[in-house]
Amino acid sequence: MGPLVANEIITTDTNLVFAFLIGIGFGFVLEGAGFSSSRKLAGVFYGYDTVVLKVFFTAAITAMIGLLFLSLFGWIDLSLIYINPTFLYSAIAGGVIMGAGFILGGFCPGTSFCGASIGKIDAMVFIVGLILGIFIFGEGYPLWEDFYKAKFLGIPKISEFMGIKDGLMALIIVLVAFGMFWIGEWAEKKFPREEY
Amino acid sequence: MNSRLLLAGFIIPMALIIAAVPSNTTKQYKLTANELLQEAVSYEPYIHPDNVADMLVQQDPSLQLIDVRTPDEFDKFSLPGAINIPLSELLADQYVDILDQDVKMNVFYSNGSLNSNEAWMITRQLGYSNNYVLQGGLNYWAETIINPVPPSSTSPDEEIAKYNFRKGASMALGGSVEGNTAKSAIPAKPVITSKKKKKRVAGGC
Repeated sequence: MGPLVANEIITTDTNLVFAFLIGIGFGFVLEGAGFSSSRKLAGVFYGYDTVVLKVFFTAAITAMIGLLFLSLFGWIDLSLIYINPTFLYSAIAGGVIMGAGFILGGFCPGTSFCGASIGKIDAMVFIVGLILGIFIFGEGYPLWEDFYKAKFLGIPKISEFMGIKDGLMALIIVLVAFGMFWIGEWAEKKFPREEY
Repeated sequence: MNSRLLLAGFIIPMALIIAAVPSNTTKQYKLTANELLQEAVSYEPYIHPDNVADMLVQQDPSLQLIDVRTPDEFDKFSLPGAINIPLSELLADQYVDILDQDVKMNVFYSNGSLNSNEAWMITRQLGYSNNYVLQGGLNYWAETIINPVPPSSTSPDEEIAKYNFRKGASMALGGSVEGNTAKSAIPAKPVITSKKKKKRVAGGC
């Protein structure tokens, strides 16, 4: 049955409608969970609030197990799921830039729009910086095209790399995630902050 | 605390289940245009008339000839043991068990190879295996099996073999699709089989 677009059950245009609705739901939940507060977001780096870690990892493991069960029941063909191809160097550089921007600005791209939508000026400034970055990247593309495309690894999976089943890998990730949740909550007690 | 335990109590057992069950390898089949092209150009589906004739002569039970022409054409002439699945009826429910199986070797044929190719492509797209196409269709069958052109420098053995082969083939043609007529042709067939082997050796040299 799934993926719906790849199997031509819905068109790409309909897909955009779904994406729009899911995006609104995503933003609503982000806002509701307090992700429009840059102090809360930055808390994960200082240990006083690890809700970002907990929310995103919970989402990841829920989606992961859900997909594996859908695949088990034959409701989705995982080989047709789009996986971002890995260009190792640009992935590392992008991660560093993104992480630095996250600490400095207090937002990640999605949450900055969340913050801007409730009128936070720092979030709006962040969006300006974000667009500036996109502009610089686009205009200067010839300069870093070689670096950008270097070390292409295809679409590697950790489970394939380690030679284990996807399901077993999922179990390991779930256990690691719960371990991190536990450490995160321990850190929250260790580095408490009264108000943020 | 309670909600945390609830979450862990739900997700960890689910992860245990997914780690324990074998992963689903059934592919919901839909070949991309590229994959289908790769299969089509590799000549994987084609079975040469010699091989089909050989299997017919040896009464190979794994062979299932499928005539994808119209019932009228099928009634006029068909290969022995063939069943009729007109191309327009290919997707009918009653034929699924014939087309989607892993025991027999289905060989589609039509007059040329166009319709049989189409049948093969559709079944391939559905993910069915063990379906093949008679190379060149009945036209090529007639050329190679019924009216073989003797090569200029062939041994007499080969000519006899081909003559016998033709005789066997026309005998098979004389019968209709029914099983009993096919059986009546059996006595002639073992003779042909032995000659066929000679022909192969000659061809190898």
